[in-house]
Amino acid sequence: MNAADSIIRLHRVNKSFGEFKALIDIDLDINIGEKVVVMGPSGSGKSTLLRTINRLEPIDSGTITINGSDLYSPKEDINRIRMELGMVFQSFNLFRHKSVLDNLTLAPMKLKRIPRDQTEALALTLLDKVGMRDRASHYPVQLSGGQQQRVAIARALMMEPKIMLFDEPTSALDPEMINEVLTVMVSLAREGMTMVVVTHEMGFAREVADRVVFMDGGAIVEEASPEAFFTQPRNPRSRIFLQQVLNPYFRSGPRSV
Amino acid sequence: MPEPKSFKTEAKDHTPPVPSPDNHGLISAWTIALCVTIALIILLPWMQPDPYLNILRFIPDGIWVTFEITVLSISLAIVIGLLTGLGRISSNRFINLIASLYVEVVRGIPLLVQLFYIYYALGRFIRVPDLVAAVIAMAFCYGAYMGEVFRAGIKSINYGQVEASLSLGFNHRQTMVYVILPQAWRTIMPPVGNEFIALLKDTSLVSILAVADILRRGREYAAESFNYFETYTMIALIYLLITLILSKLIAIMELRLSYYERR
Repeated sequence: MNAADSIIRLHRVNKSFGEFKALIDIDLDINIGEKVVVMGPSGSGKSTLLRTINRLEPIDSGTITINGSDLYSPKEDINRIRMELGMVFQSFNLFRHKSVLDNLTLAPMKLKRIPRDQTEALALTLLDKVGMRDRASHYPVQLSGGQQQRVAIARALMMEPKIMLFDEPTSALDPEMINEVLTVMVSLAREGMTMVVVTHEMGFAREVADRVVFMDGGAIVEEASPEAFFTQPRNPRSRIFLQQVLNPYFRSGPRSV
Repeated sequence: MPEPKSFKTEAKDHTPPVPSPDNHGLISAWTIALCVTIALIILLPWMQPDPYLNILRFIPDGIWVTFEITVLSISLAIVIGLLTGLGRISSNRFINLIASLYVEVVRGIPLLVQLFYIYYALGRFIRVPDLVAAVIAMAFCYGAYMGEVFRAGIKSINYGQVEASLSLGFNHRQTMVYVILPQAWRTIMPPVGNEFIALLKDTSLVSILAVADILRRGREYAAESFNYFETYTMIALIYLLITLILSKLIAIMELRLSYYERR
């Protein structure tokens, strides 16, 4: 891997919540256009890892570099860096007091000072892309979870980010709504967006991921191509995890591994 | 002597359920209170012009003063409250300490004592008009309560909204202005409305200073005519009429503010 191409670089990142070590010596380089899926059991630190890439969590030590800027340096303008990072949350977090269209236009109008008509034109194009154009004037409470998440993706894209971070984007959704969100994410991946996705969606990982990162106990225990990870996981913990996720009704213990 | 507890719980099981506040039936308590108040305000002067009509002629100047003090005080209190509320959630220790100190001190001193303090004690150093002193004292006191209202309102907004806003590139101030406060406003408005009514009633305290509000005008009239019963009856009715109307307006406003939560 050529380090010069890395758009995201994590170097020996450590973070703890009190006594609990959430991240232990994380080293991770992600290249431009690469799609990385982060997996791991609950509490393994995968969401924390993703949130540190947007400085939503302070870190104890180590460095995170985004596009050459040191994310945790007090000298850097964090808001400028964040504009290049789109983030999609598990709980959508659409602005409840604004319509779908206003959710999209707020940030570009206020932060980039783009006139309303231009911003709205871009917003409608993106809403078209996620299939939500006909709901532009609705309020978030009037939408289903899947629709809210698609709007949230469009909202993040409005700032024309170089990287998109997805924090369990389908975990809060009913099963029949998962696909509509994944479809949008797949088409985004096809356009060459750099993506870091925390998810349990195996199908999505197989389809678009260049690399699967498996975390357990706050550390990265395995990095592999999806093909290798799903068929021949090297780490015993990965194997147990995959077994439990793939056969949720057939919970065999570590004995059978 | 306390009754045996088992008896009480047993009796509770047989009491009819308390009606829901939304279930007004044909007429609500509010409607009854308003109709009776208006009827009395019209009928009493009509049936007994002396002294009721005279009282009604004498007091209105005071209504204007009461409103003036209320509106000025609440406006100032909202500004102080917003700053205090933001100060109380600030990560800056110094600002946080100042705001908390203000709230603790003001909440621990009776309003009447604060009024006297600002009017007489500070009057030794700077002379301000009576009305201004009254407004400052009321706003100073209510600002602290309002600060708690604002703090609670801001805290009631899901932190996910803050994170979504930050992740788009807004700084903390912009997040507060564009995302949190417009939503918190809805939670804040009803208690602010209640504080408004409470403040309007508490302005009657300023009649002790030389401010000619409703109560002061009434007391002046009663002192001349010795019609204490009739005067205070009219004063009570006037305050009641004003607060009844205001409480309804606040309820309507509350409903309108929640437009985006309706499906």
